[in-house]
Amino acid sequence: MITQFLEASQKKWTKVLIGLAVALVLCFLVNVALGSVTIPLSNLLSFITSGNSGQPSWDMILSNFRLPKAITAVLVGSALGVSGLQMQTLFRNPLAGPYILGISSGAGLGVAIAIFLGFYLGGFLELSGIGRSWLLVASAGAGSFLVLLIISLAATRLKDSITLLIIGLMFGAAAGALVSILQFFSQAENIQAYVIWSFGSLGSLSWSELYVFIPVILIGLIGSVLLSKPLNTLLLGENYAVSLGLNIKKIRLLIIINTAILAGTVTAFCGPIAFFGVALPHLTRMLFNTSNHLLLTPLIILFGSALMLIFDFIAQLPGMEATLPINAVTALFGAPFVIYILLRKKNLNYAYQS
Amino acid sequence: MSLLETRSLSIGYTQKATSPKVLQKDVNLSINPGEIISLMGQNGVGKTTFVKTISGLIPRLSGEVYYHHDPLEHLNANELARRLSIVLTEKPYSHNISVLELIAIGRHPYSNWMGVLSDKDKKAIDWAINETHINYLADKKLYELSDGQLQKVMIARALAQETDLIILDEPAAHLDLYNKIEVMTLLRSIAQKGKGILISTHDMQISTQLSDRLWLFNFNEPVQQGTPEDLILDGTLEKTLYLQDYGYDMIHGSINIGTPENGTSVKLEGPEAVLFWTSQALRRNGIKVSESAETTVSCSKKEWIIRTPESSKHCTTIGELLAYFRQAANPGSRL
Repeated sequence: MITQFLEASQKKWTKVLIGLAVALVLCFLVNVALGSVTIPLSNLLSFITSGNSGQPSWDMILSNFRLPKAITAVLVGSALGVSGLQMQTLFRNPLAGPYILGISSGAGLGVAIAIFLGFYLGGFLELSGIGRSWLLVASAGAGSFLVLLIISLAATRLKDSITLLIIGLMFGAAAGALVSILQFFSQAENIQAYVIWSFGSLGSLSWSELYVFIPVILIGLIGSVLLSKPLNTLLLGENYAVSLGLNIKKIRLLIIINTAILAGTVTAFCGPIAFFGVALPHLTRMLFNTSNHLLLTPLIILFGSALMLIFDFIAQLPGMEATLPINAVTALFGAPFVIYILLRKKNLNYAYQS
Repeated sequence: MSLLETRSLSIGYTQKATSPKVLQKDVNLSINPGEIISLMGQNGVGKTTFVKTISGLIPRLSGEVYYHHDPLEHLNANELARRLSIVLTEKPYSHNISVLELIAIGRHPYSNWMGVLSDKDKKAIDWAINETHINYLADKKLYELSDGQLQKVMIARALAQETDLIILDEPAAHLDLYNKIEVMTLLRSIAQKGKGILISTHDMQISTQLSDRLWLFNFNEPVQQGTPEDLILDGTLEKTLYLQDYGYDMIHGSINIGTPENGTSVKLEGPEAVLFWTSQALRRNGIKVSESAETTVSCSKKEWIIRTPESSKHCTTIGELLAYFRQAANPGSRL
């Protein structure tokens, strides 16, 4: 009887998911507790439960810096992982990621226009604090929204997904070229401001930004859970998916919109955080040995959040004043990890045809 | 009542500037419960287009397609997925899912938005696994399966979809003889449960030995249909598949490789099985088998005796027999 198999696997996966959730909570606490100032766990817990850690300076550090950053890391990790997974399955391409359709290029173009042209219109660098960060968010959001619009229009017309992928790549290349032109004609300080944005950062979000960031990402994550079942039929190939009653054009559009919401929002608020979204789905498939999206999506949300907290922990170099750009850390520590697991497993059987 | 019926159906492709390219017109066909039908015809004659048209993937040019009594255009994607399931030659894109997970995906038209399986879903999956005898594979990953096992799993997935009609594209492609026979037996037992099976194939065994009826598509000619044996005896099959020039052996349903005759002819006698294989070997080597030949070969299971008017010779294998005739044809060469 298959019910035995089903019950056994249900038990196994419940255990795995609970274990991951516990690990995520631990990573969160460690991430928040450690940094340039170490806050003891007991004080941290009392801050979380009662809003008072016992020291006013710690309260300030926790509520203004550490908590926003840790929450951002959790949401960024899960959002990039899930959108990378969706793109890899939709395009049947192991190299696909959240930015494959040119979303980060579009956002980059928006930001570049804001910084470089803003300089002529009154000076981007003059803006400070909240006004400046909202301008970045708005311009990056507008850029990625524009890309989303064009890609969606193409998606409703095109029959196969791979053509869409190529259009996305072309669009990214064109946007990159425009950014280069803008950089060429602008001044050093502006270029530096753009380059710093392109490094990505988890720590720049204030609570006012989080009030927008949190609900949008949560909506995207709920969407990705709802899309798990149709994504599973795509594991058989598009022809089989259609024969199972899937409206391929509608689902493709929903997947693209979902990915654009997740990756576009992350890029708008935190800059283009590369690598993570491509590598995490592979890492999760390899470690947990499944391609079933009903399992993979929650696994990636939990595992991606925990991993991003760890990367952020590394980036803030505990005990030191300086912080490394998150983009550098994810690739620097993520790449060897992926290579190690690939060499251990010897092939890509876990995800694709042998 | 037929599971699927086409009335005056025209299939083909619409082109933008010019008139549509019609592949087949006025197609009137139907499948009944319990029937296995093979769809045959040369490449490019419209078999795939026909299958795509009746599964609603491409628009028909004119005519009607009915499932039971429901016109195709009245069925939405999900309803159609409950009437028709398919098994393609293409393999699943991901091999890192278990057999059970794959078959559960076959419940897509029925399960809820989270893909949580109800008791009815579990029953259907259980039935599909039992029917295809793949219980021992249930928790294996797809990458652990052989081609034959994978094909049975894909058939189980189609069964779990609980449709009355199953369409298979070349179900025995890449399979060895043993697995091919297993798949054919399996399809026969599924048909006996009252399902209709349509197979698009070039395989002579599947079409003539497994199928109840053949649908033959030809270029610029009406679709022919009938019992395989009738279509063989009246020469329709031969004509449709352009086999005339290749000596389709209508008695045995096999194709003779046309080796030109070298002038030698022999008369064969002996038990039927030995006779069959001996004559195949002789014909392949250009030797004519004829009742009126002077040379006689008497076969039994272990020996072949060649008698010419002048002499006689003993052979213990067909290989030896062929060597004798080769030397007789070129007396100068040595063995």
